Amino acid sequence: MSQALLASGRLLAGWRLAVGIAIALFLVLVPRLLPPFQTLQLSYGLIFAIAALGFNLLLGYTGLLSFGHSAFFGVGAYTAALLVKYMGLSSMEAFVLAGALASAVTAALFGAVCVRYTRIFFSILMLALSQVIWSLAFKLFWVTGGTDGLRVPTPTLLGGSVALGAGEDKLVFLTHRYYYYVLALFLVCVGAMWVIVNSPFGKALQAIRDNETRAEFVGVQVRKYRWIALVVSGTFTGLAGTLWVPLNGLTTPDILYWPFSGKIVFFVVLGGFRTFLGPVLGAVVFNYLETYAIGFTVYWQMVLGVVLVLLVLTMPAGLVGTLAPLFARRRRIA
Amino acid sequence: MPEEVSRRDFLNRLGVTIGAAAASAGSLVVPTPAEAQQSFQAKGKVPTTPYKTGHMTFFTGPAAVLGEPSYKGHILAAEEINAQGGLLGKRKIETVKADEAAGTDANVKELRRMKLSEKIDCFTGVISSGNTPALGPVAEELKTLTLFTDGCTDFLFEKAVPNPHYVFRVTNIQSADGVMAAIAASMAWPKVTKIAHIHPDYSYGRNAFDHFNIAMKKLSGNIQVVSEAWPKLGTTEFTAHITKTISAKPDLLFTSVWGGDYIALYKQALRYDLFKKMKVATTLAFGVVPQAIGKDHPAGVVAGVHANYHFLYPAGNRWLPNAQFVKKYYDRWKEYPTFESEGAYTALHMLRVAVEKANQLVGGWPDDQAIIAMLEGLMYAAPAGYTYIRPDNHQGYKDALTGFLVNSPDYAFPVWDLKRVITVPIRSITAPPGYPKGEPTTTYKWIEETWPKSA
Repeated sequence: MSQALLASGRLLAGWRLAVGIAIALFLVLVPRLLPPFQTLQLSYGLIFAIAALGFNLLLGYTGLLSFGHSAFFGVGAYTAALLVKYMGLSSMEAFVLAGALASAVTAALFGAVCVRYTRIFFSILMLALSQVIWSLAFKLFWVTGGTDGLRVPTPTLLGGSVALGAGEDKLVFLTHRYYYYVLALFLVCVGAMWVIVNSPFGKALQAIRDNETRAEFVGVQVRKYRWIALVVSGTFTGLAGTLWVPLNGLTTPDILYWPFSGKIVFFVVLGGFRTFLGPVLGAVVFNYLETYAIGFTVYWQMVLGVVLVLLVLTMPAGLVGTLAPLFARRRRIA
Repeated sequence: MPEEVSRRDFLNRLGVTIGAAAASAGSLVVPTPAEAQQSFQAKGKVPTTPYKTGHMTFFTGPAAVLGEPSYKGHILAAEEINAQGGLLGKRKIETVKADEAAGTDANVKELRRMKLSEKIDCFTGVISSGNTPALGPVAEELKTLTLFTDGCTDFLFEKAVPNPHYVFRVTNIQSADGVMAAIAASMAWPKVTKIAHIHPDYSYGRNAFDHFNIAMKKLSGNIQVVSEAWPKLGTTEFTAHITKTISAKPDLLFTSVWGGDYIALYKQALRYDLFKKMKVATTLAFGVVPQAIGKDHPAGVVAGVHANYHFLYPAGNRWLPNAQFVKKYYDRWKEYPTFESEGAYTALHMLRVAVEKANQLVGGWPDDQAIIAMLEGLMYAAPAGYTYIRPDNHQGYKDALTGFLVNSPDYAFPVWDLKRVITVPIRSITAPPGYPKGEPTTTYKWIEETWPKSA
């Protein structure tokens, strides 16, 4: 019996590995297989997926619903923009390091205030704090450009060795070199998050999620663990913000405003927050959904709203949470 | 040290003219345009594939009362051109539309989608000054011929796209808004000194604030800003801003709030009798579809049109392009056009003229480079008057105008008092080509350095 289980487990792991490799191979070949616009779309999707992965460490694994993740995304983005404005930097590595650091610091400060609360109190506090950052970006226009935002020119990659050539098409750069840069960081983030959620630390977070009191009794320092989870989560989301800026060309306070936090929640609800890869799929799918809804109808807000309502009513476990068991059952039958 | 002159001399030097001829537009017989009678003969072989344009404007939210007319103006021009067989008589114009209310970041994505996925030939529209500086550089990256029809911030061609190649903007430069309101206010109420401001908190509001203040300082000498309120764009709750303004006891309120925001502002201001307590000058009271402003709006207010166009001016048959445009627009949409309609309409016709000129030179369908060469320096007799595209910065210029609101029995909504329409040659209120760039805008610096101070 146990051997059979073990064998089926190994089979499952092997199957998963095969699918994972196939997807990775597809992602590598995207610039060759798909037109430039689709590559751009996927870059956006992968970046949002990093943000969603970070967000889900809190929601799916720690049981904290944050309505303030726009703050980390925005801090990551604005860090890069301010480095351009005040220091004239153009190195993507500098942006990534500074963006991750700045969002980690922001998350640490937010955490100091928020982690002693849970449920709606945590959500609302996060929302309030994120709106403080938004109003700073919005009102200090001589620093942040106000609603006009700050422009970020094409950065150089890998210590300046990969750059946009003079007179070269920026689109080629974005859909090729920059895409691979995003993809590489995305894979690193997925790997890192996988390690984190399967580490003893990750298990402790899940214990906190399932029963805070029991977790405390077995010796988990609940607040400290929550705080660390928030810092890690904020750093991932901040990194996504930094990666997003060169793609968008500028950063505006829109990404710090509360609807953007709502969007990140949408990514994760769409994909399913009970699964590891749900948020990733949710972010990619949401990006397509939003782009095409805006492109094809002026009632795009209604389309997104209806999707959200239908999703909650019919697929509360999200895309991955609903579809994965179906696949699993089919495999068992086969 | 700038010289001092009397206010009257100063205004004369600016070339300010005040409309005198009043005529009811409805009673006139509009002559058939001469243009329609002669058809254009294209040189060489022109393909019959459709010419795809992407038009972005506000279709949802409080700005839709401003955005819809832009789309209607665009469609009217496209239908007129298509009735002649299309561009060069062969290429029918097809339009893809997009909602600007999706936000700056989504708009960037949408422009890319339109170009890369829908394969548009030309991008038009865009209302918000927050969006053109974001979309301009993307249009240049994508090598997309672009005719913005608003989003008139000086910032676009001074900083965001300082060397435009593919990007043009047809409607008037934004600094003209604040300056025109200042000219109108100082002419109508020479004694005002205490000024209150309510502006949307983004580039347009700050641009209006800066240029109104500098022009007013030159025109009226010592002015004092007694109150500032900066509501967020898209706000429809102004009570706090109104009470703050009233409590500062200003002589004049200057506001650049626009779209549905302005409708909410004036309706709420009525409840507090704001209009009885101070004079009011606006840059965009007449920006929305005319019927969106009710007859409850007090008369005598400076009702700006973004310094661009009002359908009653030039009145009657004095300027046929306008008489014909208003009639065609009314017949098509059963409402009167706004400056947004005129801008979008004119943009497409200027494109048509540029394509025709380029065709005469190179034969067949001209490439974008040839069309761009023809657009640079193009002068077109638009409904609003002669519109000129400066080759050095791709910005469209026309004489700036503003007027005073009046409730006429001829219309179901307030219109301009045609006896008091103020027109100023654009070169009198905007920095000329080659003037050294300055902060916050070149025109601001130019006014500060070159305008005399009126005594």
